[in-house]
Amino acid sequence: MAEQENNSLTFKLVYYGPAQSGKTTNLLRLHDQLSPELKGELMTMETKDDRTLFFDLLPLGFRAPSGLLIKFRVFTVPGQVAHDGTRKAVLSRADGIVFVADSDRAQETNNGESFQSMSDNCHRVGLDFANLPLVVQFNKCDLPNAVPEAEIRERWSAAPWPLVFAVALNGQGVEATFEALLRAVFRHQAERLALATTHGLDEEAFVAGALGRP
Amino acid sequence: MSDLGFDHEWRLGELLDNASLTRIGPDMAELLGGELAILDFDERLLWGALAPSARRQPVVLELEPIGFVAGEAVEPAALAAATRLLTALLRAELRFKMASTLHLEAVAEDFESLKREHARLLESEGRYRKLSEELEARVKAQVAVLEERQQMLYEAEKLASVGQLAAGMAHEINNPLGFIRSNLGTFKTYLGRLAEFGGRLAEGEAAWKALDLEFVLEDGEDLLTDTAKGIDRIARIVADLKSFSNIDRASEEFADINNCLRHAASIIETQLPPGINLKLDLLPLPGLVCLPGHLNQLFFSLMRNAVLAIQDAGRPGLVRVSSLADDDGIRIAIHDDGIGMTAEQRDKAFQPFYTTRPVGAGAGLGLATARNIVLAHSGRIDLDSTPDVGTTVSIFFPTPK
Repeated sequence: MAEQENNSLTFKLVYYGPAQSGKTTNLLRLHDQLSPELKGELMTMETKDDRTLFFDLLPLGFRAPSGLLIKFRVFTVPGQVAHDGTRKAVLSRADGIVFVADSDRAQETNNGESFQSMSDNCHRVGLDFANLPLVVQFNKCDLPNAVPEAEIRERWSAAPWPLVFAVALNGQGVEATFEALLRAVFRHQAERLALATTHGLDEEAFVAGALGRP
Repeated sequence: MSDLGFDHEWRLGELLDNASLTRIGPDMAELLGGELAILDFDERLLWGALAPSARRQPVVLELEPIGFVAGEAVEPAALAAATRLLTALLRAELRFKMASTLHLEAVAEDFESLKREHARLLESEGRYRKLSEELEARVKAQVAVLEERQQMLYEAEKLASVGQLAAGMAHEINNPLGFIRSNLGTFKTYLGRLAEFGGRLAEGEAAWKALDLEFVLEDGEDLLTDTAKGIDRIARIVADLKSFSNIDRASEEFADINNCLRHAASIIETQLPPGINLKLDLLPLPGLVCLPGHLNQLFFSLMRNAVLAIQDAGRPGLVRVSSLADDDGIRIAIHDDGIGMTAEQRDKAFQPFYTTRPVGAGAGLGLATARNIVLAHSGRIDLDSTPDVGTTVSIFFPTPK
């Protein structure tokens, strides 16, 4: 849970998903597309074959009307199965999660296993998975063998999480995914943190500040 | 390792320790050609000398300053360039620190997972161990029940054989008792005649003759001799019974097995039906540490079987009991020329509860008990039988070398 200190508030957001589903690409595009008041450099830790070894980190921030500095630290986890311990450590203390699934039909099993591991790991690190802000992104939906959107929506119709279809490589759906997560996080924590009452931030101002929209 | 997670916001002071600052600081100051200070995020002095009028340049890695570089009498552009260099250095340091801290957290987490898994395995092992203990206890209880039942059956068999023995003994004891009573009755009338002679002493020899006291004296002595023999016979039967009856308080003794055979034979002999004979053919045996009471019972029941086998054949016959000792041990054979056994009967003969006799005649435990007794003496028992020709039971007891 985000806690206020030194007149700043930090939200930890995590991009989770199977190996090579496009988590790092999402962060690269966010870095390009967003223009909030404060934007740090993207710290990536990729090995030479483009696989994330530890995590990627994108810092974003803006100042609320009250003067409170709102910071977002957006992480990715390593997707490879062997790095489960690292995923757990990155996941701990998260305020919200984007699950990046691979739309490729051949990746359905990997998606399912990764989602299950996310749910298990949330419990392990003490996160209340049922109430945690979560957005599910189906990336690479332009692939010829991608599972059609209608089929995915049908299958996920009973799930409570927003679904976003994306092509992270060309930036499509990346901002929409992040926006959906920002809204979920705001609704989940705004009241506890008195964002609207004390700091003059409603949901629209929160989203606009984080995305850098006028 | 600090309690802070890899993802906390690292300060300049955490990224560069004193040794690093002491290495970097002088070089930066040299390049800038002025007085230089490096400050932490809270403007605490980490290295150098801070002049009151120094120009401050913030060091930003993410969004906010994590520290400051302060220079006195230095070019602003040079200060900015130096700060960028330091930032690049700090960025590399940050990557290393975050990665190594995360790595430690991941390793600790993997270790925790292993410990959880281990605990789960221990718990499940414990459950199975408990289950297996319970099963073992249940099996033990069942075995105890079975053993108790079996013991009861053996007791019943023993009581049955004791009962048969007692019936035979009663007859054997009644027989001498009958003639002892008759002898004593006769002897009493003889005493009456002696008393009468006392009243007729005046008649002298005529009275002696008239009362036939010559015969009374002679016959009286015969009667008493006979009676004494009868009493001896009863005493012997009682002694035999006594040797049988100490089965329950049996203790190991060093005994001559021939004596056990003789005991059993003497009881069998008292009950032999007409036409059936028992012959002992015993050679000297070394002593054996054994339970004589049990062996008495063993030989008695085998000899009784032999007698019954001849009875079943419906003809006269002979039971031959032989013993001999060789280098290995003691060999005993009980042979009869009775009805014999079929191959099937022979195969099942030692099984508990197997009997060819009608219900009520025995529990079918005679040979099973016999085998148990032989095994308890580390011995062997074998059956050799031909239908209508006869049966030989061979027993072997090893003697210690």
